[in-house]
Amino acid sequence: MLMEVKNQLRVFGLSVKYALMREMLNKVTFITNILFMILNNACFIVQMLVLFSLKEDVGGYSFREMLLLWGMAAGTYGVSRFFFKNSFSLSDTINNGKLDAYLVQPKNVLISSITNEVETSAIGDIIYAYIMLFAYGFTIPRFILYTIFIICGGLILTSISVIFSSLSFWFSKSDAITERVNSIMIHFATYPDGIFKGIVKIILFTIIPVGLANYLPVRIIREFNINLFLIVIIVTILLIVISFIMFYKGLKKYSSSNLMIARM
Amino acid sequence: MRKYLYIFKTEIMSNLQYIFNILVGFIGFFIVLFIFLNLWNYMYDDPSQLINGYTKNQMIWYVIITEILWMTLEGRTYCKKICNDVRSGNIAYNINKPYNYILYSLSNHLGSVSIKFIVYIILGMIMGYIFMGSFPNLNILSILAILITGILATVISILLITFIGLCSFIIEDANPFYWLYSKFILILGTVFPIEYFPKTIQPILTFSPVYVVSYGPAKLFVDFNINNFISIIIAQIIYIIIGYFICSLMYKKGVRKLNVNGG
Repeated sequence: MLMEVKNQLRVFGLSVKYALMREMLNKVTFITNILFMILNNACFIVQMLVLFSLKEDVGGYSFREMLLLWGMAAGTYGVSRFFFKNSFSLSDTINNGKLDAYLVQPKNVLISSITNEVETSAIGDIIYAYIMLFAYGFTIPRFILYTIFIICGGLILTSISVIFSSLSFWFSKSDAITERVNSIMIHFATYPDGIFKGIVKIILFTIIPVGLANYLPVRIIREFNINLFLIVIIVTILLIVISFIMFYKGLKKYSSSNLMIARM
Repeated sequence: MRKYLYIFKTEIMSNLQYIFNILVGFIGFFIVLFIFLNLWNYMYDDPSQLINGYTKNQMIWYVIITEILWMTLEGRTYCKKICNDVRSGNIAYNINKPYNYILYSLSNHLGSVSIKFIVYIILGMIMGYIFMGSFPNLNILSILAILITGILATVISILLITFIGLCSFIIEDANPFYWLYSKFILILGTVFPIEYFPKTIQPILTFSPVYVVSYGPAKLFVDFNINNFISIIIAQIIYIIIGYFICSLMYKKGVRKLNVNGG
């Protein structure tokens, strides 16, 4: 079992490595993509400056905490798009019969199908996330916590995408819903939870777990709480397990479309 | 001109087949407006309070209009399409066709966003009314004037994005330029009106695309004024001429050095 996990992790690492090497073929485009993504994210600092010129806090967050929230949002997005880019087009892979190529491989079908491409610009998101941590105040414990939470958040976003994309095994038009859920997660992640009230706040910590991927981690970094920390870890593991169950249940319904493509 | 109208009509007909996708897409629009409603509810202590000359209701209506203009545009997809046309060499198939590539792209994309534009206007107005319980004080003529500025704003946005996409002739991937352009419009024109920025940069913003693609139509909706309407229309016409000119220039320069290997 342990050997199998080790092997799978090795294949995952190699898959990401070769995908990155493909992207690096054109160095100018590669660097431009990363730099412009950092600039693109930095533009939102203007939005925060305007909001904080009107009020001392926004939803209970100070300016520095908002930077941290933004960094967290960029980091989780970056991890999910860099390592698991294809999980966000999994509906298309299923609907168009592109899973065939992964079914014949002697490795985990889900992991192979979502890790064979990387999003270069997501590196910019991850770098921006750490710049925001420095702006908030760098310490070694914060750095470690921040890294754990960015990985957990990335896995949460990926799992949610896999869960909703797996609906494509049963309903052909579910790709539009998956796309919406992914964009909802991003929209909410960049605004403080303090501006939302009632049922919306509950939804953000349950059905659309932005609260667990972004809000709770920021709260834990501000003031460490072991219970909240464990909640984030447990929910991440739970969502990963659900995503695997959903995908493999759906895979039994999968039928090939005899699509012939060349993968290079 | 008839051929471009035909392209426009064909694209509308084809998009009518995807009305389900448009309606699902509206969920995203609803969420964005919902977030801004909550944000401005938090920022305003009471609804009659004025921040930079805007009441809470005016700010929410402002965001509804700018978001309708922005979200129906599908700029990211359109920019990717133009970039891919250039990078993949698909653009070569357009060279020997009896149409102008810029006008073809414009009419084609206008056709694909038209249905969404109409649906979002209707749903946006319903949402605004549910959120705030009233419409701004407007008559039929002012509504018509705002619609014209809205359509021209979309035309300008398409032309500017076409230009960014055509930059792929020079650098391989022009998408990162689109990210910056989109943030420029989003932050300086969609989320906040020009009056929210320091007085020193307000005149610069008035001459920037922000004024013609988002601020202008939205400002007219929340506070209609005939003088503002005239100055916005004039600025929009100037931008359309400049936009078309720079796109044509970039296209002509680009196709001259176009190399297509195989096919």
